[in-house]
Amino acid sequence: MRRRWAAALLLGVPTVFLLALFVVPLLSMVVLSFWRTENYHIVQEWNVGNYVTLATGGAYVTFLIRSLVMAGVVSLVSILIAWPVSYAIILYGGRYRLLLTLAFAVPFLTGEVLRVIALQGLLGPLGLINAVLMALGSAPLRFIMYTNVASAIGLVYLYLPIVVTVIYLSLLNFDARLIDAAKIFGASPLRAFVEVTWPLNLFGTLIGFALCFIPCLSATLAPRFLGGPNGTLYGMAMAQQFGESGTWALGAAMGVVLFLTSIVAVLLVGMRVNLRRTGFTGLGRG
Amino acid sequence: MYITLDGVSRQYGSIWAVDRVTMGIGKNEFVSLLGPSGSGKTTLLRIIAGLEKPTTGRVLIDGEDVTDLPPHKRGVAMVFQEFLLFPHRTVHENLAFPLRMMKLPAAEIAERVAWVVGILSLGGLEKRYPNQLSGGQQQRVALGRGLVGRPKALLLDEPLANLDRELRQEMEVEIRRHQTALGIPFIYVTHNQEEALSMSDRIAVVRKGRIEDFAARTDIYDRPRTAFIAQFVGRSNRFEGVVEAGGQGIATRCGAALSLPAALPPGREVQLFVKNEKLRLEPDDGAGAGPNRLPCTVKDVILRGAYADYILAFGDRELNASRPRSERAFLAGEAVIARLEPGDIDLFDTDGERPS
Repeated sequence: MRRRWAAALLLGVPTVFLLALFVVPLLSMVVLSFWRTENYHIVQEWNVGNYVTLATGGAYVTFLIRSLVMAGVVSLVSILIAWPVSYAIILYGGRYRLLLTLAFAVPFLTGEVLRVIALQGLLGPLGLINAVLMALGSAPLRFIMYTNVASAIGLVYLYLPIVVTVIYLSLLNFDARLIDAAKIFGASPLRAFVEVTWPLNLFGTLIGFALCFIPCLSATLAPRFLGGPNGTLYGMAMAQQFGESGTWALGAAMGVVLFLTSIVAVLLVGMRVNLRRTGFTGLGRG
Repeated sequence: MYITLDGVSRQYGSIWAVDRVTMGIGKNEFVSLLGPSGSGKTTLLRIIAGLEKPTTGRVLIDGEDVTDLPPHKRGVAMVFQEFLLFPHRTVHENLAFPLRMMKLPAAEIAERVAWVVGILSLGGLEKRYPNQLSGGQQQRVALGRGLVGRPKALLLDEPLANLDRELRQEMEVEIRRHQTALGIPFIYVTHNQEEALSMSDRIAVVRKGRIEDFAARTDIYDRPRTAFIAQFVGRSNRFEGVVEAGGQGIATRCGAALSLPAALPPGREVQLFVKNEKLRLEPDDGAGAGPNRLPCTVKDVILRGAYADYILAFGDRELNASRPRSERAFLAGEAVIARLEPGDIDLFDTDGERPS
């Protein structure tokens, strides 16, 4: 009886928490997305006008596609960087492993705005990189001045620590002696990686991908400070609906679109993966 | 010799984990590396496998110097203590792995996997994943993965340590049978003397990175070359003492008088070992102590099934005797005479070597 109470308490608290702070706001957003706003007032009148606008009007589809590409590229680049970095920490970190992983959290000690602005100071026309280049008599790098590349660099910089941490944890739980076993049975180091290391860390890599992809999809700060005229992303446009334009209902509809897009993206990736083939044992016996 | 280790050493920092090991292993031999944990036996095995590089020395397999060859080019296989099956692969895929790496045609892979499934009675488990198997089944798959590629040698690193006793004894017989059938050398690392004794042709006793002795299993047990082996292999009673005038007898520190198989210079300090099963027990006839006659009191009897272990009080020390149950049984509190023959004594100098 006491155990049942404990279970109810331990599972009940997070359930209430999630319902109150996640599901209810989400539902209210869905409701709002089917109303409309007029002159900074919410009009409670059911319609699908917001979704029609998003599907046909303005550059919203462009923004969404750009956001998807941006989030995809940023996540892939982050994973490409995070893998060797995490692997190196596991292999050579020795007793400094924990310290090195904690070092990745250092940027989080300042705020996101501050980090993006610092990056602006580095990449911009008068930033450190181009100032040095010009002082040396070379032409400035135009592709990092208020472009989508600059946005991508900023997003990689913002979310890389998370991806590294997730892949590091995955590798930490990975029994590296399986690599020895693969080598003994005839696999070259590269083959051992393909046969054993990669599939057994695929699950962790996908979590890293999702944790980078989803926030990138709704990124607002990096494109705003680094992106320039052609750099508007969906999340940034959405934030404007709630700010300057005061078209909250349209913003809510954009939020719903983002939410559904994220879910579809995660499902698409998730369905292609057989958890068993990643050594995931949480499925139990049988 | 089929496998030759030539002056192999491995240094970690300032410690020599393996220290100038030279040994040869024949093509049909079952060899055990027996030693306490930390003695360097696993490092030695990993050097043969190619997972560790020796600091100095050479490794030869089938006449070829493989010292600088990576593990995947050596053609040896290994069975690990923790099994190390690939968790994301089914039993069939685990067994097929070495064959796929050898790039064999699919038909031959299927045939060989079927063969190994047969000899290890793994039928019906091919589609399961390792975590859906019992420990014993996982062990068989690990053994099968080791045998399926018909390696030049099979290296076994404490493969039975994680199994319970009954399963272990069953597997001992089976492993030995596969070795005989395949005719390849098995090199078996263990700290368990029973495993080493039950399976091996020869046993190498490893201590502090060195081979203390490498000899037939009966020699290791019956004629230990050093005090360490006498202590480590089998269970023994240890005595310390001084050779008496005349050189034929020894007065031990605990007050026993023992007569020696061969004369030694008087006054020499020695240590002696008498295996527990060599101590014979007789009812006390009242004749008292004499050479090789130690009057004791039974303190405790531990029933082992086929035999009984007696814990005896001799003066203020304990002696251990192990007697078959077919003999007369003694009860706790009984007075007995523990007897031994001069030939039952293994005698060493204080530094652990046989006196020359």
